[in-house]
Amino acid sequence: MADITLPQSPNVTDGSLYLDGIPHERFAELRDTPGLLWHEYDGGGFWAVARHADVKTVSKDGGVFSSAVGHTNLWDLEADALEARRSLIDTDAPDHTRLRRLVARAFTPKNIRRWESTIREITVELLDDFLAKGSGDWVAEVAAPLPIRVILSMLGIPLEDADYLVDLSNYLVEGTAEKQSIPPDAFGNTTELRLLPFNSPASHALFEYGEKIGEARRANPQDDLVTSLVQAEAEDGDRLSGSEYRNLFHLLIFAGNETTRTAISHGAMALADYPDQWQRVLDDSSLADSAVEEVLRWATPVLHMRRTTTEPTEIAGTSIGAGEKVVMWYASANWDDAVFANPSSFDVGRADNPHFSFGGGGPHLCLGAFLARLEVSVLLEEMAARNISLTRMGDAQLIASNFVRGVLSVELAAEART
Amino acid sequence: MTETTPTDEVGLAVDEEKCIGAGQCEMLEEEIFLIDDDMVIAKVIGAGKLPRDRANVVVERCPSQAISIIGGDSDVDADSEVVS
Repeated sequence: MADITLPQSPNVTDGSLYLDGIPHERFAELRDTPGLLWHEYDGGGFWAVARHADVKTVSKDGGVFSSAVGHTNLWDLEADALEARRSLIDTDAPDHTRLRRLVARAFTPKNIRRWESTIREITVELLDDFLAKGSGDWVAEVAAPLPIRVILSMLGIPLEDADYLVDLSNYLVEGTAEKQSIPPDAFGNTTELRLLPFNSPASHALFEYGEKIGEARRANPQDDLVTSLVQAEAEDGDRLSGSEYRNLFHLLIFAGNETTRTAISHGAMALADYPDQWQRVLDDSSLADSAVEEVLRWATPVLHMRRTTTEPTEIAGTSIGAGEKVVMWYASANWDDAVFANPSSFDVGRADNPHFSFGGGGPHLCLGAFLARLEVSVLLEEMAARNISLTRMGDAQLIASNFVRGVLSVELAAEART
Repeated sequence: MTETTPTDEVGLAVDEEKCIGAGQCEMLEEEIFLIDDDMVIAKVIGAGKLPRDRANVVVERCPSQAISIIGGDSDVDADSEVVS
């Protein structure tokens, strides 16, 4: 195990740092230091991986850098907690391959395109409402309702439950921040918090909700994603266990709304802050795709993921023992000037943009990548069609988390210039 | 390495054990790859061939390293480094 004589990383885990945005200078120091630096954390520590090339190395080699051993968040879990909380994210092949294929069908490029008209309908309604008001909290009015309504449509869940599920997601995010606002027994929870994803009683509520909708679809199958999950479970008992279903449902609701909400929030702020860049998109529709990718890079909704080594290895000349924690900082890789020219410029025309906002290129590549792209893409198209200009009315309220780059609220004004 | 040009056509193959159905290949080269709806595994469709430079990108971008280049003068397997 690493000892304290190792060169130390600057602190990049203090949640309060992220209240002012990503601590880019600290990550630049990490990237510029040869080899890897050791970062102390909670009585132990991890190797901080900050360069784009090194993040890719770790991400692609799930055999050496395991997601199933240990935890994919920074802190360790006891064995029973790890099992109880294990989702697609915390598995390696071949378990990962099996689980992933069960849900992957719904998220292929071809199958995601079928949702385009639904996404457009939802987007137009939200945008037109926002325009009618003229200004408001972009997160509450557009960024939060858009993705949750889309994922609920796919899952086959009534849209009237959207607000409740967004509330639960907000409580889950608090579990990655410094303190939680709800008591351990909220939502009738009796499970020890350490056994629940994000240590949050909201996970209990989300599990219960998933069970209830799963039961309903078992009794009365529909043409939706929940039905296909519970049928996969029913046809072949060992394919998707009750715990796997629960955790997968939890993941789809949380990841299906929180991360895209973050992308749409930071994206709108960027369009307000850099009106010349938005004007380029309005003037030249050939920039539509590169603008989407730049919004995704700029937003970097997930700041890091952790792996644990299964054998001794080496990254960038630094020897790493077996069973050590390695943390991939997407928040750093997306600003690595070895890959991105002028990384601190928001550039909608960026031609080569291999950002890691969906992960570092390995098997845990974001399941919802095409869905998120399509949502951002449709939003930009509909904003362009209305020639909308956004203006900041105040500072964004960010959350104190080193894991997700959540935005609680941001006041924007919108004007249609046509 | 024998002399090849980036536009030489090469064939592509998918390792069905490794494929996770993520769909990167379908996004990049939809004329060549389709995620099969029954198996949720990438299938090579159509001509099944790509210029080497584009083939290298697909191999490189496959998240589960399930795609390899077949044919051409020098085979590149999915685990080898792609120099771009």
